[in-house]
Amino acid sequence: MTHVYDSRGIPRAIETAAAWLLGVLWVLPLAYAFWTAFHSGEYSTRFVLSAPLTLDNFVRAWAAAPFARYFVNTVLLVTMVLAAQLVLVTLAAYAFARFEFPGRGLLFALVLVQLMIMPDVLIVENYRTMALLGLNDTIVAVGLPYMASAFGIFLLRQTFKTVPRELDEAARIEGCGPLQVLWKVYVPLARPVYLAYALVSVSYHWNNFLWPLIITNSVESRPVTVGLQVFSATDQGIDWSIITAATLLTTAPLLVAFLLFQRQFVQSFMRAGIR
Amino acid sequence: MIVQHMGRALRGVAVALAAAALPALAQAPVEVPFYYPVAVGGPITRIIDGLAADFEKENPAIKLKPIYSGSYQESITKVLTAVKSGDAPVTSILLSTDMFTLIDEDAIVPFDDLIRTPDDQAWLKSFYPGFMENSQTGGKTWGIPFQRSTIVLYYNKEMFKEAGLDPNRPPANWKEQVEYAQKLTRRDASGKVTQWGIQIPSSGFPYWLFQALAIQAGTNLMNAAGTQTYYDKPEVIEGLTYWLDLVKKYKVHPEGIVEWGTTPKDFFEKKVAMMWTTTGNLTNVKSNAKFDFGVAMLPAGKQRGSPTGGGNFYLFKKSTPAQREAAFKFIKWVTVPQRAAQWGIDTGYVAVRAEAWDTPAMKQYVAGFPAAVVARDQLPFAKAELSTHDNQRVTKALNDGLQAALTGTKTPEQAMKDAQREAERLLRTYK
Repeated sequence: MTHVYDSRGIPRAIETAAAWLLGVLWVLPLAYAFWTAFHSGEYSTRFVLSAPLTLDNFVRAWAAAPFARYFVNTVLLVTMVLAAQLVLVTLAAYAFARFEFPGRGLLFALVLVQLMIMPDVLIVENYRTMALLGLNDTIVAVGLPYMASAFGIFLLRQTFKTVPRELDEAARIEGCGPLQVLWKVYVPLARPVYLAYALVSVSYHWNNFLWPLIITNSVESRPVTVGLQVFSATDQGIDWSIITAATLLTTAPLLVAFLLFQRQFVQSFMRAGIR
Repeated sequence: MIVQHMGRALRGVAVALAAAALPALAQAPVEVPFYYPVAVGGPITRIIDGLAADFEKENPAIKLKPIYSGSYQESITKVLTAVKSGDAPVTSILLSTDMFTLIDEDAIVPFDDLIRTPDDQAWLKSFYPGFMENSQTGGKTWGIPFQRSTIVLYYNKEMFKEAGLDPNRPPANWKEQVEYAQKLTRRDASGKVTQWGIQIPSSGFPYWLFQALAIQAGTNLMNAAGTQTYYDKPEVIEGLTYWLDLVKKYKVHPEGIVEWGTTPKDFFEKKVAMMWTTTGNLTNVKSNAKFDFGVAMLPAGKQRGSPTGGGNFYLFKKSTPAQREAAFKFIKWVTVPQRAAQWGIDTGYVAVRAEAWDTPAMKQYVAGFPAAVVARDQLPFAKAELSTHDNQRVTKALNDGLQAALTGTKTPEQAMKDAQREAERLLRTYK
């Protein structure tokens, strides 16, 4: 990353304006959610600056479902999935990047095929597998189908391939075994990619809805997104204040984490080339 | 006691043989997983949990497991996935219109085998016939009405007074509906509308509200066997033309697609004087409207009319006879008059049996809130909701046609002809 794209004059003004426009568009729903969540129902579509603020919506939303338990479940789920993914993905990517073995091309093609298939298509088959394993209605069942991530393997393999062979060989001359090389050379060099991948994985599993809804039945195994379903009142009008309050509650941890680590995230994304 | 138990066990075996399934030995407790879609807001899951706990207290041999399965759409996905993987629930509430889909998927069993005593038969007859239209086909009963609704007209009495209309005389027919809406529509100096006369929502499931117009114009949208639609009948096109006239000719109804979810909100904020929406909104409107409001039957075209809506109990095939027996017991228990009445009071759904309206609790409720009986009084005019084989796609054909007509990309005739052609193509294999 030696040359940084830098425009001047009118192009720069246009780019800045466009960036602001996109930023504002992106933040509008969030701003609306904030407004509605902190005001009583009658102000949800009327913007009066003097409208009284209230936390009532949050209290009602929190009481409508056992969210504390759902949060624990979601945190367990994303941690478990991410931990398993990191281990599996690292080992698989290392093998594909640096080892010659028969059928390597074919195997890697099979992994890539997984990228082409929408996970939703596999719901019935996955459900059957979970039933067979006796895992229905557990947090493990929610995470298991996602642990061997083709996207992660592909991404890391590409990253590992950019590591100079010389570093690898130098470490071997120093007496490192294959796993030590992986741990001491490849993993540290791929840190930004890991961070970017972790963010994508965590936010995906934090927000995933359909599969967890289908595979889980009880409060003990359901994540927050499924907990939000109690507000999907289609037979009635929609109570925006309570929905936005609940949405803010469930997304707050991610939002806060993003704001705190924003700089690192943006940098890793630039380096890893994921957008 | 013992004799009774033996009787039940023998019956169970008989049913098992009849169903050619494995006879389940009398094992306690019988687990009954029960999918419940959340379609109204508020503490609904708590009401269901409470009902389940009360039922278990009276029937310790049965373990009822309510499982909240999302919206109706998500619930049918969850159910069909589970059925295909051999892990179906024993009973579930799903849209009454899913009946043909569930039969075609070979997922459910009819209730007829369980309805044996004269008491049971009387129980089955006690449901409003309007609700049974969507629950029976081919001479069999596949669903038991539970959380059902119809469409009614809500109107703002204060606006009626301001416009010089009698607040206790809602529009009775299409002509009056237009006249009232014209008086109720207000524009500011620049000609911008500040208050609409009427709103009929058209997002999500426009077919349901439109169906009321078609019935009022003189025809329902499909046959009882679920194999034929009538989207391009002249009456249907007449209904759609009337809707479009409200928008284009009289300019008393907002243009384009009117959101289902925010229409009650518009009503509360006095942006609209009359709205068509479900009786399920009754409790919502009662607690949020800061003005005097009225509830009325939908105005008549050639006749009065509204489709029914909402969910039925179904029994799933992949269950033991003992489980089905237990689920049936719960369904009977939860639909006894006083519980049907309480459920209606708590949620705003229409109590599904006539006897429920004679219970003291309901009488007291109605005395304090007369609007609650409008839905019941409209039931004699209610017809089955649109439901056919391959229901999702056949209904979508109509939804697309309606939205095309409302947004002005097609004429009503063209939109309905296209929808009918698509529906006929989809239904060809079921004839």
